[in-house]
Amino acid sequence: MPEKFGEVALKIEKVNKEFPAVKALTDVSLEVRKGEVRALVGENGAGKSTLIKIVTGAYTKDRGDLYICGKQIKRNSPLISKNMGVYAVYQAVMLAKDLTVAENFFLGAQPGKGGFINWKKMYAESEKFMKDLGLDIPVRKNLSELSVAESEMVTIAAALWHNPEVVIFDEPTAMLTKSETKILFRIIKELKEKGIAIIYISHNLEEVFQVCDTITILKDGMVVDTVPSNTLDEESLIPLMVGREISEMYSKKEFEPGKEILRVENLSGEKFTDISFSVKRKEILGFFGLVGAGRTEIARAVYGVDKIQRGTIHINGNEVKIKKPNDSLKNGLGYLPEDRKDLGLFLPQDVDFNINIINYERSINAGIINYRKTAKLADEYIEKLSIKVGGPFQKVSELSGGNQQKVIIGRWLAKNPDVLIFDEPTVGIDVGTKSEIYKLFGKILEQDKGIILISSYFPELLGMSDRVIVISNGRVAGEVERKDFSEELLLTLAMKYYSNADLKEEVLNG
Amino acid sequence: MAKKYRKTFAERNLIIIIILMWVFLAIVTGGRFSSSLNITNLVRQAAINGVVAVAMTFIIITGGIDLSVGSVVGLSGMVFATMTSSNLSIGMSIPLAIVISLLASAAVGLVNGIAIHDGKVPPFIATLGMMTAVRGLVMYISNGRMITGLPKEFKAFSSADFLGLPALAWTWIVIAVIAGLVMKYTKFGRNLYAIGSNPEAARLSGINIRLNMYFFYIVGAVLCGIAGLMLSTRLASGVPTAGQSYELDAIASVVIGGASMTGGVGTALGTVLGALIIQTIKNGGNLMGIDPFIMQMVIGAIIVLAVFFDTFFKSRGRRPKIFGKGKKVNAAQ
Repeated sequence: MPEKFGEVALKIEKVNKEFPAVKALTDVSLEVRKGEVRALVGENGAGKSTLIKIVTGAYTKDRGDLYICGKQIKRNSPLISKNMGVYAVYQAVMLAKDLTVAENFFLGAQPGKGGFINWKKMYAESEKFMKDLGLDIPVRKNLSELSVAESEMVTIAAALWHNPEVVIFDEPTAMLTKSETKILFRIIKELKEKGIAIIYISHNLEEVFQVCDTITILKDGMVVDTVPSNTLDEESLIPLMVGREISEMYSKKEFEPGKEILRVENLSGEKFTDISFSVKRKEILGFFGLVGAGRTEIARAVYGVDKIQRGTIHINGNEVKIKKPNDSLKNGLGYLPEDRKDLGLFLPQDVDFNINIINYERSINAGIINYRKTAKLADEYIEKLSIKVGGPFQKVSELSGGNQQKVIIGRWLAKNPDVLIFDEPTVGIDVGTKSEIYKLFGKILEQDKGIILISSYFPELLGMSDRVIVISNGRVAGEVERKDFSEELLLTLAMKYYSNADLKEEVLNG
Repeated sequence: MAKKYRKTFAERNLIIIIILMWVFLAIVTGGRFSSSLNITNLVRQAAINGVVAVAMTFIIITGGIDLSVGSVVGLSGMVFATMTSSNLSIGMSIPLAIVISLLASAAVGLVNGIAIHDGKVPPFIATLGMMTAVRGLVMYISNGRMITGLPKEFKAFSSADFLGLPALAWTWIVIAVIAGLVMKYTKFGRNLYAIGSNPEAARLSGINIRLNMYFFYIVGAVLCGIAGLMLSTRLASGVPTAGQSYELDAIASVVIGGASMTGGVGTALGTVLGALIIQTIKNGGNLMGIDPFIMQMVIGAIIVLAVFFDTFFKSRGRRPKIFGKGKKVNAAQ
């Protein structure tokens, strides 16, 4: 490693970990030095999270050695690793939601005497700390009153509060807006200057190249290589992660759009007004908008999850009444939510159950489920989406987060409704699977179906859509044909119905 | 990587435990435990609580709990006794009286379902209230007194045998087998696990939560109604306090049987085995001359220990196996 970094802060030597059907880590070794930002990249199930959990003491390793700041840790636990100065920031907020931001900082070590808490001191110190970080988050508010992005920033701040030696960021930007991501990157830079070792896990390779000094590539539980980030670019990194070249990420097949299949007229709900659009067979209709513009709410209303105040939904030219998800399923509509884990996963059940729950009608004969048929269908999608699992009857709780996501995507691909709404389908999904999903889009269209693609990720949205509807502040701001696609046009339309000038500036500069 | 995942058989340990207990008891009681009379007695005693436990299994898999089961047992028995007793004036036929008793039970289940699903009252509170109210209703119907004079044929059922097993035990077996098959092999059963695992995901999967929840609580209550009828054939009368505190044994059986109180996990077979374990301890302790109050303490400890070991081994990443090497389980994240 280059000499510009300090001494070794974290050292892992030949660590092994095995799970029921998966060898999660094989002889993984790595060294992270003080002041170094190390990226950990790899596909879903490559072993990144397992490795982190061994470092933080959430899992015990089967074999291998772990050193933190030169000291060998024989028996690790979450408490021991924290005492050694290792702090991890996960996507999920792991703080007490019903306490104030300040209380969360001081948790277990509140200032005061005689059993009474010195609130004044607690708030003052917390406020100063936040200010030093350059964060504008009220420390007297309960965590539950903050937005998702704000609580994510609090989680990060809470980790820094303890003067860590090693900070691990696991997909930290997934819930952040652009401006907050900028703040985070600034904080990482400051930490680096202070000589703190940082491990950064992300599927977003653009970010990885932006903030990381070195990159360790994991594949199938083994270290492929560790390289300085300036010797690689995205194109040369992907084959190392995936183990093969991805010739064309957005392999869009061109079709002649067929007859109109879904038409929504003047739909109004709590967060949107007068939404009209239509989807044709063999067509991908993109949905663009800023976070909170109402895209997800529209999808939920069309699918029958949320109440519709006004407006009509037509399928194949006939008006249909959709009051609950079952109505839309029956009419050939499907919805794959963004929050797949909370809104899609049946955690105590096996993969077979999770894939078949909306597909049992295929395997039921005279009211009796045929498990040979369900397993066959599950196996088919395990293979198509290369889900890393020991078999269809393994519990989904034993799968990695990315593979759990794939299970739910598999459920909907197996259902194959006439119109399938994908809400941010590739968030948290590795590149290899992403390209598989895009290929499957083509297969869906081939069968004369239609797709609605809600996405905030321009390459995906512009690469895959035939048309894009732009939603701005709960209204349709415009419709853009593929030949006119440009990021500027979509962004301009996305801000059409916001009057707040500051917001415009933030988005444009962010 | 490519090791094939083997399905584990969660009930295996329970079966081994029961066999070990039975062998042990047969030896220490000098064969008195294993006499056909005692075994027949054991399953007869286990049958009624066992049916209530199967009912409880449905509810616990939804992630709820039903404290009103014991009161429904009492209600059904008392309604039947009132309808058919020769000491009273109604004198209804047995089949019709059975239907009415079960309808009364079903009504309790429906109200529970409405309070819990539509009223958003936590199941613990809704059924606690129902437990108290229905017991009051039983007392009101009976004036707090026993009702005797039940039809002879009805009373005969409790002592009837079929293929060497009491008719009551057969009733339990048939109910448990049907419940087990329904849970595993029908859409209704899969909906049960889906709702118990993640109600919001179940709704997005097109499952009608309201109807299913009503249905689960009604099925549970009807099964308790059947248990109430079984109990009144044994007692040969309608007893106002019948079924009191049955909810406790039922919850214990379900939990020992491997169900999770957070929902989504549990099987009818596990519950049956759990009920057998509890009854074996009671029966065996009795034969060994152990103070029943001490046995009560033992059962209490076993309930907690069963759950403790389950969570303990899960957090250690190993599922306990009585024979052979433990199999690792954990989230490969």
